[in-house]
Amino acid sequence: MAGRRAALKAIDWLAFAERVPPNQRGMFNALKTRTDAISAKLASLPETPAAIDWSYYRSAVAKAGMVDEFEKKFKALQIPEPVDTQTSNINAQEAEANKSAVAYIEASKARVATYEQELEKFKNMIPFDQMTIDDLNEAFPETKLDKVKYPYWPHKPIANL
Amino acid sequence: LNHRFPLFASGSLKSSGPIGAGLVQASRSLQTSSQSLAPVPPLPEYGGKVRHGLIPEEFFQLLYPKTGVTGPYMLGTGLLVYLLSKEIYIINHETIAAITIGTIIVYGVKKFGPSVAAFADKLNEDKMAKAQEAKDVAMSSLTQAIENEKKEQWRVEGRAMLFDAKRNNVAMLLETNYRERLHMVTNEVKRRLDYQIALQHLNRRMQQEHMINWVEKNVIGSITPQQRVIHKCFSDHLSND
Repeated sequence: MAGRRAALKAIDWLAFAERVPPNQRGMFNALKTRTDAISAKLASLPETPAAIDWSYYRSAVAKAGMVDEFEKKFKALQIPEPVDTQTSNINAQEAEANKSAVAYIEASKARVATYEQELEKFKNMIPFDQMTIDDLNEAFPETKLDKVKYPYWPHKPIANL
Repeated sequence: LNHRFPLFASGSLKSSGPIGAGLVQASRSLQTSSQSLAPVPPLPEYGGKVRHGLIPEEFFQLLYPKTGVTGPYMLGTGLLVYLLSKEIYIINHETIAAITIGTIIVYGVKKFGPSVAAFADKLNEDKMAKAQEAKDVAMSSLTQAIENEKKEQWRVEGRAMLFDAKRNNVAMLLETNYRERLHMVTNEVKRRLDYQIALQHLNRRMQQEHMINWVEKNVIGSITPQQRVIHKCFSDHLSND
């Protein structure tokens, strides 16, 4: 019975719950209830069944040799372990999740880099009361007046005043 | 090109008054590369100081060592008297017009100047406040976005726990199944043995009952009519007493 007692990894459900994003909370709760049901079922079954009192049966049953035969066959019986079909699926899922997680983290880091760049730009800006209009146009390109498209003052559609 | 022309550079007192300003102007206009003055010093907020709205303060400072406080005024008065007496400047109608209009202008500016200035400054302040607010909002939203991204990264790190939970579930299910099988085997064997014992007990009991019935039947059948009469006499006799 080699692979029988695969050790159960202790899971810190509180830490797990913290890491779940709010939009997946329903799935997390479903998982938790399922797990609790399964572990309750497991706990309700004793580990080994009650031993059979062979001496009592040997004395009680009249048929000769029946009890001995039963006993011999019982002791020789090997109960096959249930086959594990899902762990490989789970491992495959985990590998895939790891890959997508790595990709997501890369994208996230790129986003953080752009945000930090913009933040730096804002931090290094000169204060507004020392800017000229040219400085403002450099810092915020959207304030630049398009003198080619609107050659006459105020260089922008009247509605935008 | 972005020319910055502070009219009277307050910092450059080395060269003499108005002429010096012109020199500074000329030298500044020749600086075409944009790298030499970075970071650009902020523009002076107020122009050079002037006395009586016309004459720069540097002139008075220039004459102070030689002639004291009243020197430039004496110079001015002497010049004016010279111009009038020698009729280099002739008083005519334009003079009266200039004096009256000048008086009104000076009075107007002195009275309403500060409030108009405050109004214009307020317009500018509002614009700047809006720009500053936009900048603050942008900065705070950026920091918030960075925080959120970091938080999401932290969340992703916990993905192993999900798969551990799943594997645990699978292991528990397997274990449960295995134990159920064990229990089933034991119970079945016990049931079979108990059945044998129950069968034996049933057999024994049936044999006993059958024998009892048979013995009873035989005994009752073997009571002869004689014995029956005697028995009836006994019972009558006993009941009569």
